[in-house]
Amino acid sequence: MKIDSGDTAWVLASAALVMLMTPALGFFYGGLVRRKNVLSTIMHSFFILCLISVQWVLWGYSLAFGPDHFGLIGGLDWIGLNNVGFTPNADYAPTIPHQAYMVFQMMFAVITPALISGAFAERQRFKAFVLFSLLWATFVYDPIAHWVWGAGGWLHTLGALDFAGGTVVHISSGVSALVAALVLGRRIGFGQGKFEPHDATMTVLGACLLWFGWFGFNAGSAVAAGGLATSAFVVTNTATAMAALTWMTVSWWHKRQPSVLGAAAGAVAGLVAITPASGFVNVMGSIVIGFGAGLFCYLAIQLRERIHVDDALDVWAVHGIGGTWGALATGLFATVAINSTAANGLFYGNPKQVLFQLAAIGASWAWAAIGTFVILKIVGVFVPLRVGEDEELVGLDISQHGEPAYAKDGEPAYANVGSL
Amino acid sequence: MDATTVIAVICSAVVFVGWLVAPSSPKAVRLAAPAPVSEERQRVAVSA
Repeated sequence: MKIDSGDTAWVLASAALVMLMTPALGFFYGGLVRRKNVLSTIMHSFFILCLISVQWVLWGYSLAFGPDHFGLIGGLDWIGLNNVGFTPNADYAPTIPHQAYMVFQMMFAVITPALISGAFAERQRFKAFVLFSLLWATFVYDPIAHWVWGAGGWLHTLGALDFAGGTVVHISSGVSALVAALVLGRRIGFGQGKFEPHDATMTVLGACLLWFGWFGFNAGSAVAAGGLATSAFVVTNTATAMAALTWMTVSWWHKRQPSVLGAAAGAVAGLVAITPASGFVNVMGSIVIGFGAGLFCYLAIQLRERIHVDDALDVWAVHGIGGTWGALATGLFATVAINSTAANGLFYGNPKQVLFQLAAIGASWAWAAIGTFVILKIVGVFVPLRVGEDEELVGLDISQHGEPAYAKDGEPAYANVGSL
Repeated sequence: MDATTVIAVICSAVVFVGWLVAPSSPKAVRLAAPAPVSEERQRVAVSA
Protein backbone atom coordinates (compact mmCIF):
# COMPACT_ATOMS: atom_id res chain seq x y z
CA MET A 1 0.00 0.00 0.00
CA LYS A 2 1.27 3.41 -0.99
CA ILE A 3 1.13 6.33 1.42
CA ASP A 4 -0.66 9.38 0.00
CA SER A 5 0.97 12.59 1.17
CA GLY A 6 -2.21 14.67 0.76
CA ASP A 7 -4.32 12.24 2.79
CA THR A 8 -1.65 12.00 5.47
CA ALA A 9 -1.34 15.77 5.75
CA TRP A 10 -5.10 16.16 6.06
CA VAL A 11 -5.49 13.48 8.73
CA LEU A 12 -2.60 14.84 10.81
CA ALA A 13 -4.01 18.37 10.53
CA SER A 14 -7.43 17.01 11.48
CA ALA A 15 -5.94 15.31 14.54
CA ALA A 16 -4.55 18.68 15.60
CA LEU A 17 -7.96 20.30 15.01
CA VAL A 18 -9.69 17.67 17.14
CA MET A 19 -7.03 18.06 19.84
CA LEU A 20 -7.97 21.75 20.10
CA MET A 21 -11.57 20.79 20.82
CA THR A 22 -10.79 19.48 24.30
CA PRO A 23 -9.33 22.71 25.69
CA ALA A 24 -12.10 24.52 23.78
CA LEU A 25 -14.60 22.38 25.67
CA GLY A 26 -12.86 23.44 28.88
CA PHE A 27 -13.52 27.08 28.02
CA PHE A 28 -17.08 26.34 26.89
CA TYR A 29 -17.80 24.64 30.22
CA GLY A 30 -15.59 27.03 32.21
CA GLY A 31 -17.69 30.02 31.25
CA LEU A 32 -20.89 28.29 32.32
CA VAL A 33 -19.87 27.58 35.92
CA ARG A 34 -19.57 29.96 38.86
CA ARG A 35 -16.26 31.80 39.19
CA LYS A 36 -15.17 29.73 42.18
CA ASN A 37 -15.18 26.57 40.01
CA VAL A 38 -13.85 27.76 36.66
CA LEU A 39 -10.29 26.55 37.07
CA SER A 40 -11.34 23.07 38.22
CA THR A 41 -13.72 22.82 35.27
CA ILE A 42 -11.01 23.74 32.77
CA MET A 43 -8.66 21.34 34.55
CA HIS A 44 -11.03 18.44 33.87
CA SER A 45 -10.53 18.86 30.12
CA PHE A 46 -6.82 19.60 30.32
CA PHE A 47 -6.16 16.64 32.60
CA ILE A 48 -8.09 14.22 30.39
CA LEU A 49 -6.08 15.36 27.37
CA CYS A 50 -2.98 14.19 29.20
CA LEU A 51 -4.48 11.06 30.77
CA ILE A 52 -6.06 9.54 27.66
CA SER A 53 -3.07 10.44 25.48
CA VAL A 54 -1.09 7.99 27.60
CA GLN A 55 -3.88 5.43 28.11
CA TRP A 56 -4.52 5.28 24.35
CA VAL A 57 -0.96 4.39 23.34
CA LEU A 58 -0.59 1.92 26.21
CA TRP A 59 -3.78 -0.14 25.77
CA GLY A 60 -6.74 1.98 24.61
CA TYR A 61 -6.05 1.83 20.87
CA SER A 62 -5.45 -1.90 21.02
CA LEU A 63 -8.75 -2.54 22.83
CA ALA A 64 -10.70 -0.33 20.44
CA PHE A 65 -9.08 -1.15 17.10
CA GLY A 66 -6.91 -4.22 17.68
CA PRO A 67 -7.66 -7.65 16.18
CA ASP A 68 -11.26 -8.57 16.93
CA HIS A 69 -12.51 -10.94 19.62
CA PHE A 70 -16.14 -12.07 19.17
CA GLY A 71 -17.15 -8.68 17.75
CA LEU A 72 -16.95 -7.23 21.24
CA ILE A 73 -13.42 -6.02 21.91
CA GLY A 74 -10.02 -5.66 20.31
CA GLY A 75 -7.17 -7.81 21.52
CA LEU A 76 -3.96 -6.80 23.25
CA ASP A 77 -1.81 -7.44 20.17
CA TRP A 78 -1.24 -3.71 19.66
CA ILE A 79 -0.55 -2.85 23.28
CA GLY A 80 2.07 -0.12 23.58
CA LEU A 81 1.57 0.48 19.83
CA ASN A 82 3.22 -2.84 19.07
CA ASN A 83 2.60 -3.52 15.34
CA VAL A 84 1.25 0.02 14.88
CA GLY A 85 3.85 1.66 12.71
CA PHE A 86 4.07 3.62 9.48
CA THR A 87 2.71 0.98 7.13
CA PRO A 88 -0.95 1.70 6.35
CA ASN A 89 -3.64 -0.56 7.79
CA ALA A 90 -6.00 -1.62 5.01
CA ASP A 91 -8.97 -2.08 7.36
CA TYR A 92 -8.95 1.49 8.63
CA ALA A 93 -7.07 3.85 6.33
CA PRO A 94 -5.18 2.37 3.36
CA THR A 95 -3.41 5.57 2.25
CA ILE A 96 -1.94 6.95 5.48
CA PRO A 97 0.52 5.61 8.07
CA HIS A 98 -1.19 3.48 10.69
CA GLN A 99 0.12 5.77 13.43
CA ALA A 100 -1.54 8.77 11.77
CA TYR A 101 -4.88 6.97 12.04
CA MET A 102 -4.09 6.00 15.62
CA VAL A 103 -3.35 9.57 16.72
CA PHE A 104 -6.46 10.88 14.94
CA GLN A 105 -8.57 8.37 16.85
CA MET A 106 -6.73 9.25 20.06
CA MET A 107 -8.21 12.73 19.99
CA PHE A 108 -11.73 11.27 19.86
CA ALA A 109 -10.94 9.09 22.86
CA VAL A 110 -9.65 12.19 24.66
CA ILE A 111 -12.66 14.43 24.22
CA THR A 112 -15.32 11.85 25.06
CA PRO A 113 -14.73 11.51 28.82
CA ALA A 114 -14.06 15.26 28.95
CA LEU A 115 -17.63 15.81 27.72
CA ILE A 116 -19.01 13.92 30.74
CA SER A 117 -17.25 16.27 33.14
CA GLY A 118 -19.92 18.90 32.48
CA ALA A 119 -22.49 16.78 34.32
CA PHE A 120 -20.65 16.60 37.63
CA ALA A 121 -19.06 20.05 37.46
CA GLU A 122 -18.83 22.05 40.68
CA ARG A 123 -19.04 19.05 43.00
CA GLN A 124 -16.91 16.05 42.02
CA ARG A 125 -13.77 15.24 43.97
CA PHE A 126 -10.75 15.42 41.68
CA LYS A 127 -9.32 12.09 42.78
CA ALA A 128 -12.61 10.35 42.04
CA PHE A 129 -12.69 12.09 38.66
CA VAL A 130 -9.22 10.77 37.82
CA LEU A 131 -10.10 7.16 38.64
CA PHE A 132 -13.49 7.35 36.96
CA SER A 133 -12.06 8.78 33.73
CA LEU A 134 -9.42 6.08 33.38
CA LEU A 135 -11.87 3.25 34.04
CA TRP A 136 -14.58 4.77 31.87
CA ALA A 137 -12.24 5.19 28.90
CA THR A 138 -11.14 1.56 29.22
CA PHE A 139 -14.41 -0.20 29.94
CA VAL A 140 -17.02 1.99 28.23
CA TYR A 141 -15.39 3.99 25.42
CA ASP A 142 -12.98 1.38 24.07
CA PRO A 143 -15.58 -1.41 23.72
CA ILE A 144 -18.19 0.85 22.07
CA ALA A 145 -15.54 2.20 19.69
CA HIS A 146 -14.70 -1.39 18.76
CA TRP A 147 -18.34 -2.36 18.21
CA VAL A 148 -18.94 0.55 15.84
CA TRP A 149 -15.60 1.24 14.16
CA GLY A 150 -13.37 -1.76 14.84
CA ALA A 151 -12.80 -4.29 12.06
CA GLY A 152 -15.15 -7.14 13.06
CA GLY A 153 -17.09 -5.08 15.60
CA TRP A 154 -20.66 -6.38 15.86
CA LEU A 155 -22.44 -3.11 15.09
CA HIS A 156 -20.03 -2.46 12.23
CA THR A 157 -20.78 -5.92 10.84
CA LEU A 158 -24.51 -5.41 11.34
CA GLY A 159 -24.39 -2.33 9.11
CA ALA A 160 -24.95 0.50 11.59
CA LEU A 161 -23.61 3.81 10.27
CA ASP A 162 -21.66 6.25 12.44
CA PHE A 163 -19.28 8.41 10.44
CA ALA A 164 -17.59 10.38 13.22
CA GLY A 165 -18.98 9.33 16.58
CA GLY A 166 -22.67 9.95 17.22
CA THR A 167 -22.93 6.72 19.17
CA VAL A 168 -19.29 6.24 20.15
CA VAL A 169 -18.66 9.77 21.38
CA HIS A 170 -21.93 11.59 22.00
CA ILE A 171 -24.47 8.99 23.09
CA SER A 172 -21.86 7.32 25.30
CA SER A 173 -20.84 10.58 26.99
CA GLY A 174 -24.34 12.06 27.15
CA VAL A 175 -25.95 9.00 28.73
CA SER A 176 -23.02 8.58 31.11
CA ALA A 177 -23.45 12.22 32.11
CA LEU A 178 -27.07 11.60 33.04
CA VAL A 179 -26.13 8.59 35.16
CA ALA A 180 -23.28 10.49 36.82
CA ALA A 181 -25.58 13.41 37.65
CA LEU A 182 -28.08 11.04 39.25
CA VAL A 183 -25.45 9.12 41.23
CA LEU A 184 -23.63 12.21 42.51
CA GLY A 185 -26.79 14.11 43.37
CA ARG A 186 -27.56 17.80 43.11
CA ARG A 187 -25.27 20.69 43.95
CA ILE A 188 -25.90 22.58 47.17
CA GLY A 189 -28.48 25.25 46.42
CA PHE A 190 -29.79 23.58 43.28
CA GLY A 191 -33.38 24.62 42.66
CA GLN A 192 -33.21 27.57 45.09
CA GLY A 193 -32.04 30.04 42.48
CA LYS A 194 -30.29 30.05 39.17
CA PHE A 195 -26.58 29.32 38.97
CA GLU A 196 -25.57 32.07 36.58
CA PRO A 197 -22.70 31.45 34.13
CA HIS A 198 -19.76 33.48 35.34
CA ASP A 199 -18.43 34.44 31.87
CA ALA A 200 -20.68 34.08 28.83
CA THR A 201 -17.96 35.44 26.54
CA MET A 202 -15.70 32.54 27.50
CA THR A 203 -18.48 30.10 26.61
CA VAL A 204 -19.12 31.68 23.21
CA LEU A 205 -15.39 31.62 22.46
CA GLY A 206 -15.29 27.96 23.48
CA ALA A 207 -18.23 27.19 21.18
CA CYS A 208 -16.50 28.92 18.25
CA LEU A 209 -13.31 26.96 18.84
CA LEU A 210 -15.33 23.74 19.05
CA TRP A 211 -16.97 24.59 15.72
CA PHE A 212 -13.54 25.17 14.18
CA GLY A 213 -12.10 21.93 15.57
CA TRP A 214 -15.16 19.97 14.51
CA PHE A 215 -14.15 20.32 10.85
CA GLY A 216 -11.28 17.99 11.71
CA PHE A 217 -13.60 15.72 13.68
CA ASN A 218 -16.04 15.17 10.81
CA ALA A 219 -14.19 15.97 7.59
CA GLY A 220 -11.09 14.25 8.96
CA SER A 221 -13.13 11.08 9.46
CA ALA A 222 -13.04 10.58 5.71
CA VAL A 223 -9.35 9.71 6.38
CA ALA A 224 -8.59 11.07 2.94
CA ALA A 225 -8.43 14.51 1.37
CA GLY A 226 -11.13 14.39 -1.29
CA GLY A 227 -14.79 14.73 -2.13
CA LEU A 228 -16.13 12.91 0.92
CA ALA A 229 -14.13 15.13 3.29
CA THR A 230 -15.43 18.19 1.43
CA SER A 231 -19.02 17.00 1.72
CA ALA A 232 -18.58 16.29 5.45
CA PHE A 233 -17.11 19.77 5.90
CA VAL A 234 -20.04 21.47 4.15
CA VAL A 235 -22.82 19.54 5.92
CA THR A 236 -21.11 20.07 9.28
CA ASN A 237 -21.12 23.83 8.82
CA THR A 238 -24.70 23.88 7.50
CA ALA A 239 -26.21 21.75 10.27
CA THR A 240 -24.39 23.73 12.95
CA ALA A 241 -25.64 27.05 11.64
CA MET A 242 -29.19 25.71 11.27
CA ALA A 243 -29.21 24.33 14.81
CA ALA A 244 -27.97 27.62 16.25
CA LEU A 245 -30.67 29.53 14.36
CA THR A 246 -33.35 27.06 15.47
CA TRP A 247 -32.34 27.04 19.14
CA MET A 248 -32.15 30.83 19.21
CA THR A 249 -35.58 31.14 17.59
CA VAL A 250 -37.24 28.61 19.91
CA SER A 251 -35.74 30.27 22.97
CA TRP A 252 -36.84 33.66 21.57
CA TRP A 253 -40.43 32.44 21.47
CA HIS A 254 -40.19 30.70 24.81
CA LYS A 255 -38.22 33.20 26.90
CA ARG A 256 -39.06 36.32 24.82
CA GLN A 257 -35.37 37.09 24.15
CA PRO A 258 -32.84 35.68 21.65
CA SER A 259 -30.27 34.09 23.94
CA VAL A 260 -26.58 34.39 23.06
CA LEU A 261 -25.70 31.36 25.17
CA GLY A 262 -28.63 29.60 23.53
CA ALA A 263 -27.20 30.26 20.08
CA ALA A 264 -23.84 28.89 21.24
CA ALA A 265 -25.43 25.79 22.80
CA GLY A 266 -27.53 25.32 19.66
CA ALA A 267 -24.40 25.36 17.52
CA VAL A 268 -22.87 22.63 19.67
CA ALA A 269 -26.10 20.61 19.44
CA GLY A 270 -25.92 20.88 15.66
CA LEU A 271 -22.30 19.77 15.63
CA VAL A 272 -23.21 16.78 17.76
CA ALA A 273 -26.18 15.73 15.63
CA ILE A 274 -24.43 15.98 12.28
CA THR A 275 -21.44 13.98 13.54
CA PRO A 276 -22.74 10.45 12.80
CA ALA A 277 -24.38 11.58 9.56
CA SER A 278 -21.65 13.83 8.16
CA GLY A 279 -20.25 11.28 5.73
CA PHE A 280 -23.61 10.00 4.52
CA VAL A 281 -26.10 12.85 4.06
CA ASN A 282 -26.41 15.70 1.57
CA VAL A 283 -26.78 19.38 2.36
CA MET A 284 -30.59 19.29 2.48
CA GLY A 285 -30.40 16.41 4.95
CA SER A 286 -28.01 18.44 7.10
CA ILE A 287 -30.53 21.31 7.30
CA VAL A 288 -33.18 18.95 8.67
CA ILE A 289 -30.68 17.43 11.10
CA GLY A 290 -29.65 20.89 12.32
CA PHE A 291 -33.28 21.92 12.76
CA GLY A 292 -34.05 18.78 14.76
CA ALA A 293 -30.95 19.24 16.90
CA GLY A 294 -31.88 22.79 17.88
CA LEU A 295 -35.46 21.82 18.66
CA PHE A 296 -35.02 18.45 20.40
CA CYS A 297 -32.03 19.46 22.52
CA TYR A 298 -33.79 22.62 23.67
CA LEU A 299 -36.86 20.56 24.66
CA ALA A 300 -34.61 18.04 26.44
CA ILE A 301 -33.26 20.83 28.64
CA GLN A 302 -36.81 21.85 29.56
CA LEU A 303 -37.53 18.21 30.49
CA ARG A 304 -34.32 17.92 32.52
CA GLU A 305 -35.24 21.08 34.46
CA ARG A 306 -38.75 19.77 35.17
CA ILE A 307 -37.51 16.51 36.65
CA HIS A 308 -34.85 18.39 38.70
CA VAL A 309 -31.82 16.44 37.53
CA ASP A 310 -28.64 18.43 38.15
CA ASP A 311 -26.75 17.64 34.96
CA ALA A 312 -24.88 20.87 35.58
CA LEU A 313 -23.96 21.83 32.01
CA ASP A 314 -26.65 19.85 30.14
CA VAL A 315 -24.42 17.18 28.68
CA TRP A 316 -27.27 14.69 28.40
CA ALA A 317 -29.60 17.11 26.65
CA VAL A 318 -27.02 18.26 24.10
CA HIS A 319 -24.85 15.18 23.58
CA GLY A 320 -27.16 12.35 24.59
CA ILE A 321 -30.24 13.60 22.80
CA GLY A 322 -28.32 15.34 19.99
CA GLY A 323 -26.29 12.17 19.37
CA THR A 324 -29.41 10.01 19.43
CA TRP A 325 -31.19 12.28 16.96
CA GLY A 326 -28.15 12.34 14.69
CA ALA A 327 -27.76 8.55 14.74
CA LEU A 328 -31.45 8.08 13.96
CA ALA A 329 -31.41 10.77 11.28
CA THR A 330 -28.51 8.97 9.60
CA GLY A 331 -30.90 6.06 9.09
CA LEU A 332 -33.42 8.45 7.55
CA PHE A 333 -31.30 10.65 5.27
CA ALA A 334 -28.19 8.62 4.33
CA THR A 335 -27.68 8.30 0.58
CA VAL A 336 -25.16 6.40 -1.48
CA ALA A 337 -24.99 9.43 -3.76
CA ILE A 338 -22.73 10.93 -1.07
CA ASN A 339 -20.92 7.80 0.07
CA SER A 340 -21.03 4.82 -2.26
CA THR A 341 -19.48 2.50 0.33
CA ALA A 342 -22.34 3.05 2.81
CA ALA A 343 -26.11 2.50 2.48
CA ASN A 344 -29.28 4.41 1.75
CA GLY A 345 -31.60 5.49 4.53
CA LEU A 346 -35.38 5.36 4.82
CA PHE A 347 -35.99 8.39 2.59
CA TYR A 348 -33.90 6.79 -0.15
CA GLY A 349 -35.69 3.43 -0.12
CA ASN A 350 -33.95 1.45 2.65
CA PRO A 351 -36.14 1.31 5.79
CA LYS A 352 -33.97 -1.45 7.30
CA GLN A 353 -31.22 1.10 7.96
CA VAL A 354 -33.40 2.68 10.65
CA LEU A 355 -33.45 -0.65 12.50
CA PHE A 356 -29.65 -0.90 12.36
CA GLN A 357 -29.39 2.61 13.71
CA LEU A 358 -31.83 1.85 16.52
CA ALA A 359 -29.75 -1.21 17.44
CA ALA A 360 -26.63 0.96 17.68
CA ILE A 361 -28.47 3.61 19.70
CA GLY A 362 -29.94 1.07 22.12
CA ALA A 363 -26.66 -0.79 22.63
CA SER A 364 -24.74 2.46 23.24
CA TRP A 365 -27.33 3.77 25.71
CA ALA A 366 -27.40 0.50 27.64
CA TRP A 367 -23.64 -0.09 27.82
CA ALA A 368 -22.88 3.53 28.75
CA ALA A 369 -25.57 3.64 31.45
CA ILE A 370 -24.69 0.31 33.05
CA GLY A 371 -20.93 0.79 32.73
CA THR A 372 -20.98 4.28 34.21
CA PHE A 373 -23.15 3.22 37.13
CA VAL A 374 -20.91 0.27 37.99
CA ILE A 375 -17.70 2.28 37.64
CA LEU A 376 -19.00 5.09 39.85
CA LYS A 377 -20.03 2.58 42.52
CA ILE A 378 -16.62 0.91 42.41
CA VAL A 379 -14.75 4.23 42.57
CA GLY A 380 -17.05 5.32 45.40
CA VAL A 381 -15.84 2.39 47.50
CA PHE A 382 -12.30 3.78 47.48
CA VAL A 383 -12.81 7.54 47.21
CA PRO A 384 -15.82 9.74 48.07
CA LEU A 385 -17.26 10.84 44.72
CA ARG A 386 -18.25 14.29 45.94
CA VAL A 387 -16.32 16.93 47.77
CA GLY A 388 -17.44 17.79 51.29
CA GLU A 389 -20.07 20.44 51.88
CA ASP A 390 -17.55 23.08 53.00
CA GLU A 391 -15.33 22.32 50.02
CA GLU A 392 -18.25 22.73 47.66
CA LEU A 393 -19.25 26.05 49.23
CA VAL A 394 -15.69 27.35 49.08
CA GLY A 395 -15.41 26.21 45.48
CA LEU A 396 -13.38 23.50 43.79
CA ASP A 397 -10.66 25.84 42.56
CA ILE A 398 -9.48 26.40 46.11
CA SER A 399 -10.61 23.16 47.75
CA GLN A 400 -9.28 20.81 45.05
CA HIS A 401 -6.42 22.74 43.46
CA GLY A 402 -5.47 25.49 45.91
CA GLU A 403 -5.58 28.09 43.17
CA PRO A 404 -8.18 30.75 42.44
CA ALA A 405 -8.88 31.57 38.80
CA TYR A 406 -9.12 35.30 39.32
CA ALA A 407 -6.87 36.46 42.15
CA LYS A 408 -6.83 40.23 42.45
CA ASP A 409 -3.60 42.20 42.57
CA GLY A 410 -2.51 42.98 46.08
CA GLU A 411 -4.98 40.60 47.69
CA PRO A 412 -4.30 37.15 49.07
CA ALA A 413 -5.31 34.22 46.91
CA TYR A 414 -8.14 33.36 49.27
CA ALA A 415 -9.81 36.76 48.78
CA ASN A 416 -12.37 35.23 46.44
CA VAL A 417 -13.44 32.54 48.86
CA GLY A 418 -17.05 32.86 49.84
CA SER A 419 -17.73 35.73 47.45
CA LEU A 420 -20.32 33.59 45.67
CA MET B 1 -37.54 17.92 -5.44
CA ASP B 2 -37.06 14.88 -3.24
CA ALA B 3 -38.63 14.42 0.20
CA THR B 4 -35.49 15.51 2.05
CA THR B 5 -35.41 18.83 0.18
CA VAL B 6 -39.09 19.46 0.89
CA ILE B 7 -38.58 18.87 4.62
CA ALA B 8 -35.47 21.08 4.62
CA VAL B 9 -37.37 23.93 2.99
CA ILE B 10 -40.20 23.59 5.53
CA CYS B 11 -37.73 23.60 8.46
CA SER B 12 -35.98 26.70 7.11
CA ALA B 13 -39.32 28.44 6.56
CA VAL B 14 -40.39 27.71 10.15
CA VAL B 15 -37.25 29.38 11.47
CA PHE B 16 -37.28 32.35 9.11
CA VAL B 17 -40.98 33.04 9.57
CA GLY B 18 -40.50 32.48 13.29
CA TRP B 19 -38.48 35.66 13.53
CA LEU B 20 -41.46 37.65 12.25
CA VAL B 21 -43.65 36.44 15.08
CA ALA B 22 -40.94 36.52 17.76
CA PRO B 23 -41.36 39.27 20.38
CA SER B 24 -39.85 42.51 19.08
CA SER B 25 -39.90 44.24 22.44
CA PRO B 26 -38.67 41.76 25.00
CA LYS B 27 -38.82 42.05 28.78
CA ALA B 28 -39.24 45.55 30.12
CA VAL B 29 -35.92 46.99 31.19
CA ARG B 30 -35.67 49.70 33.80
CA LEU B 31 -32.66 51.90 34.07
CA ALA B 32 -31.18 52.01 37.54
CA ALA B 33 -31.17 55.42 39.17
CA PRO B 34 -27.75 57.03 38.81
CA ALA B 35 -25.63 56.93 41.92
CA PRO B 36 -25.34 60.33 43.64
CA VAL B 37 -22.07 62.04 42.93
CA SER B 38 -20.14 63.11 45.98
CA GLU B 39 -19.39 66.81 46.09
CA GLU B 40 -16.09 66.27 47.83
CA ARG B 41 -13.38 64.38 46.09
CA GLN B 42 -11.52 61.79 48.08
CA ARG B 43 -7.90 62.53 48.71
CA VAL B 44 -5.69 60.09 46.92
CA ALA B 45 -2.20 59.35 48.11
CA VAL B 46 0.21 59.97 45.29
CA SER B 47 3.78 58.82 45.45
CA ALA B 48 6.55 61.17 44.52
